[in-house]
Amino acid sequence: MRTVRLFIVGTALTFVLWSGCTQSDPTGPVASLGSHAVTKYVAIGNSLTAGYQSNALYASAQQYSYPNLIAQQLLRAGATIQLFEQPLYGDPGNADPATGKASRLEILSLSSPIPSIGPRGLDPGSPTNTALGRPYDNLGIPGIPLASFLDTTNFTGNPFVDLVLRPSMFPKSVFQQVQVLQPDLITLWLGNNDVLGYATSGGTSPSAPTPTGTFAALYAQVLDTLRAILPNAKILVGNIPDVTTIPFFTTVGPAAQAQGINAVYGIHSSGDTAVMSLSTNLLTLNAQAELSQGKGILPSNPLPSSVVLDSDEIAIAQAAVSSFNAAIASVAAARGVALFDANALLKKANTEGYSIAGERFTSQYVAGGLFSLDGVYPSSRGYAIVANEMIAVLNQHYGMSIPLVDISTVPGIPAPAAKLGKGQIPQISRGALENIHKLFSTGVR
Amino acid sequence: MRTPIRFPAVALLLLSASTLIAGGFQLNEHGARAVGLGGAFAARASDPSAIYFNPAGLGFQTVNQISLGATVILPRVAFFGPYQLNTNTKTAMDNQTFTPPHVYGTYHFSEDLHFGIGVYTPFGLGTQWPQEWSGKFITTKADLQSFFISPTVAYRLRDGLSIGVGFNYAVGTVRLEQTVSDPFDPHGTLALKFDANSFGFNVGVLYKPSSEISVGASYRSEVAFSATGTADFTPNRPVYPEGDAKSSLTLPATGYLGVAYSLSDNLVVEADYQYVGWSSYQELAVEFAGDGSKVISPKNYRDTFVLRVGAEYTMDDWQLRGGYFFDRTPVETPYVDPLLPDANRNGLNVGLGYRLTSSLSIDAAYMLLLMDERKAEKTVIDFDGTYQTRADLFCVSLTYTF
Repeated sequence: MRTVRLFIVGTALTFVLWSGCTQSDPTGPVASLGSHAVTKYVAIGNSLTAGYQSNALYASAQQYSYPNLIAQQLLRAGATIQLFEQPLYGDPGNADPATGKASRLEILSLSSPIPSIGPRGLDPGSPTNTALGRPYDNLGIPGIPLASFLDTTNFTGNPFVDLVLRPSMFPKSVFQQVQVLQPDLITLWLGNNDVLGYATSGGTSPSAPTPTGTFAALYAQVLDTLRAILPNAKILVGNIPDVTTIPFFTTVGPAAQAQGINAVYGIHSSGDTAVMSLSTNLLTLNAQAELSQGKGILPSNPLPSSVVLDSDEIAIAQAAVSSFNAAIASVAAARGVALFDANALLKKANTEGYSIAGERFTSQYVAGGLFSLDGVYPSSRGYAIVANEMIAVLNQHYGMSIPLVDISTVPGIPAPAAKLGKGQIPQISRGALENIHKLFSTGVR
Repeated sequence: MRTPIRFPAVALLLLSASTLIAGGFQLNEHGARAVGLGGAFAARASDPSAIYFNPAGLGFQTVNQISLGATVILPRVAFFGPYQLNTNTKTAMDNQTFTPPHVYGTYHFSEDLHFGIGVYTPFGLGTQWPQEWSGKFITTKADLQSFFISPTVAYRLRDGLSIGVGFNYAVGTVRLEQTVSDPFDPHGTLALKFDANSFGFNVGVLYKPSSEISVGASYRSEVAFSATGTADFTPNRPVYPEGDAKSSLTLPATGYLGVAYSLSDNLVVEADYQYVGWSSYQELAVEFAGDGSKVISPKNYRDTFVLRVGAEYTMDDWQLRGGYFFDRTPVETPYVDPLLPDANRNGLNVGLGYRLTSSLSIDAAYMLLLMDERKAEKTVIDFDGTYQTRADLFCVSLTYTF
């Protein structure tokens, strides 16, 4: 009987001990701002910062602008920022000046044989946050080049300046409004438009990127100005992605090649018509509408220069990107500010793809999930990835531990439930993307 | 002219290279007596569950029996992460209850020749996570069910030595659900369903060199399933490869080696070593007939083992049992995923047996299954975090002798 008692008592004791100890939560990342405080965050930039996507600025997309996403994550890490205010444009967003209708692109139909993408022909929305009694925290102005940051006088020709800066109520320039806001955290992503407009217009409008020397000098001046007005602010800057890897350029040519079309007739910026190999020349998304009208097949009916980025123009755009990025890297390093390598992110997306938690993104048009329907700007999920990569840089550079955006909660592109012809690239209505390059040629050079 | 431009990569719209079935889905709970003994039973196999543990055990059972029962499994799993989002957010798996049953019949033609047939579920379980959780592109639900039907013959070669052999007819069903990594809003969801059947065998030997010692060894073969199933997408956007899907899965071989020793007239102890050939599970591939695309998920399971000890004390019509086992996980850290998050397991078991009448007995057991906290880092699915798992198991078997 002694054995029995021992057995029972031993077993009972073991059970009590084992089952009694409830597991405590495992150690893992703890949200914090490290040794820093963030009471005010301001984002400076262009259309990428504004949250522009699918060829328009509209509130339901601005909600997923990377600055707004970063602001929400900062709050989770203990930042004491107030509401992050943006120049919201009511859905469906701004008008296309050519039609007076909303310029936002949508998937109009997934029907066979060719699904179509275009504006829905809706009346445009209007700005909704215009009564805010202080400058906006998101100072991303669609269309502006680097130089506009310092400009205090001449913003004519860009309708988004009135929307974002409200010059009748507040100081006229971006940096002056930053000074009013007194942020202790700033993200600055500028310079894309100093090459993007050149590329998306097929090297026609403007006819050259901003000169390298001008860009480097301007960039140093921008950061020095910021440092002068806010000596203690934490600053993150983003560099310039290689614009030739965005789906605006990588969709139509390869798709034609897959159908056995290896060259087209096109017009060079010099005015000469030539046979252009699709292996060395890029066609823009706008080329699709031209091709479908029979252009490019015969020398008498070539593709216009504005839809072709020929090999010389590709080299010019890529050289501009790499020298801009060299300037950004050296200016940033000399001033101790954090650098977000947007170029590396896009390169990764374009080569191996970007995966997180089982969700996969690539630079492929529509299907890749990273870009919106204009093929130039990120989708909401793409902006969330930008926000996360910027947060990762802040965490590393400033010893913070800001949680990242759960991309699985960010909406994708609304798609009608109708049938989509399998294997088809959507047809984009002619002229729908015209203001993509109009956008980049506005503002001050 | 209309330029026909085709979308080159429909497959890219689809599944991430995500895992579809996970491991650690072997079940060893096929009789309440064995469960009470920590599964250390292959050296005795002295009840109808011998059909699973060691078919040679039937060679010493000179009665006819019918036994039936079930195990109630109540797992509780929590995930903390994902670290890719720099967060330690807790997600609790939906609570589910599993009740794998077991039924055995045995018949002795003579003192030496014995026949048995059993139906049991050596592989099973499932997981279900909240529909909108951060791992939804990897899994929202996984469910694996299997039934083995095993006609078995045992023969007592001489006093103290018996051999047995069984044939296993296996049927299996796998259901997997996840959110599709597509660019759309809302995301599509995918439900995969596979049904398959296959065959295997098992053999065993049991040797009793003296009245105190009993030695047993048994082996169960791999069972290779090759399945045709269906892939259902909701909503059914035509870019998805809705329709037939193919997959295959090889359930691992397993072997037991055990020694039992009678310390006294009423106290027996046993220790078993169980081998599990999990390296049969190197990858899971699903091929979609809709567009010919194939999604391959690397698994790279390793062979592993379970160490088991158990003791049984007999008092008149009562039997008291206790046991413990250590089950080493087949899943290496980069391959840990939320389908069936695995870790090293410690099982603590207690059980009771009671003879209700001269021909009817009942056995009951409880198992507390504690899995080590598992930190998954640098995972191939980019979903790192920590899993905490425990489970309570209750097992009851009723045996009628005639």
